[in-house]
Amino acid sequence: MSITLARVEPSIAGVGDYIELMKPRVMSLVVFTALVGLVVAPGHVHPVIGLVALLCITVGAGAAGALNMWYDADIDARMARTAARPIPRGRITPGEAAGFGFTLAAFAVVTLGLLVNVLAAALLAFTIFFYVAIYTVWLKRSTPHNIVIGGAAGALPPMIGWAAATGSLAVEPVLLFLIIFFWTPPHFWALSLYRCEDYARAGIPMLPVVAGEDETRRQILRYALILAPLGVAPWLLGYAGPAYGAAALPIGGVLIALALRVRNERDGHRASKQLFGFSILYLFLLFAMLLIDGRPGGLFGHFA
Amino acid sequence: MITSTDAMNEQERQPPGIKLTAQQLRARRERSIAIALALGAFVLLIFAVTMVRLGSGALSLSGDDYMRPVQTTK
Repeated sequence: MSITLARVEPSIAGVGDYIELMKPRVMSLVVFTALVGLVVAPGHVHPVIGLVALLCITVGAGAAGALNMWYDADIDARMARTAARPIPRGRITPGEAAGFGFTLAAFAVVTLGLLVNVLAAALLAFTIFFYVAIYTVWLKRSTPHNIVIGGAAGALPPMIGWAAATGSLAVEPVLLFLIIFFWTPPHFWALSLYRCEDYARAGIPMLPVVAGEDETRRQILRYALILAPLGVAPWLLGYAGPAYGAAALPIGGVLIALALRVRNERDGHRASKQLFGFSILYLFLLFAMLLIDGRPGGLFGHFA
Repeated sequence: MITSTDAMNEQERQPPGIKLTAQQLRARRERSIAIALALGAFVLLIFAVTMVRLGSGALSLSGDDYMRPVQTTK
């Protein structure tokens, strides 16, 4: 019996490449929204346990990012926005990325389950599974609703944070989930309007590729009209104070105004780019205000 | 039957070991340090959570509570 070994080049991947593989910008948004879920939850969490929960959620998000880059390496190579990622650039092999992603995912889930609680760990496992198997493998290449349904994965971190703090779920974390869930489509569709050719070349059925720009602009406005009231809801339902309401109302207005400009835009993509940029600021401001003025366990509530 | 000459020939036919380039060596060293740091951080994490979860109970295990005789009823 003879064994043939394929010649494998020793890896040239550095630490920076692995960090890039974890999508640090997505991770920063995940850790921030999870922190808000953790802080606004009622009751007291020991700082060390809170830190462990955040760390596990962050590593879990990074693992999901690595697995996404592993599976999507072929389409990433065909898009200008993603062609410089570590796998298409030849810095990390697909096998290394898969091993890294699966190992981190297992560590994050098991550690969260053993050191914090099982509900939070189960939610984290579901989030990673949803992002990798449901969004990346299945939906992304098959339907223009890919980011609508797939957005659920990005919306779950505040629920995981809440579950880590309380061991249970309630209406408030579901509201936070809904805010991010309805924020995702206008955010990504605004981007896809001016990256349409990129997505078409890669064969990804994004909404402007499949249904055209006009339909995408209409859908963006539709989701913005749902998102803005949802953004104000924590204040209306008494989960956040007047300072939150005073911030959520005007920025919700700006969001709708920008979505209207996108809807009416005929030449170029100036409004789409503005909406894309503002949508990031919008979500950041909403969650930052929740951190400051959330009830009952808001940042100030802890010291009251 | 394998003779010693055969074994020597076999050894000669073996390709030389993989020679790492300077870039590959640098990358491996970088990864090794990162893994060591991550492992150290993980150990500290487990230690910190153990202290938080058990609190003073962790220390008293080796003290009075551990040594106290089991109470029996007559």
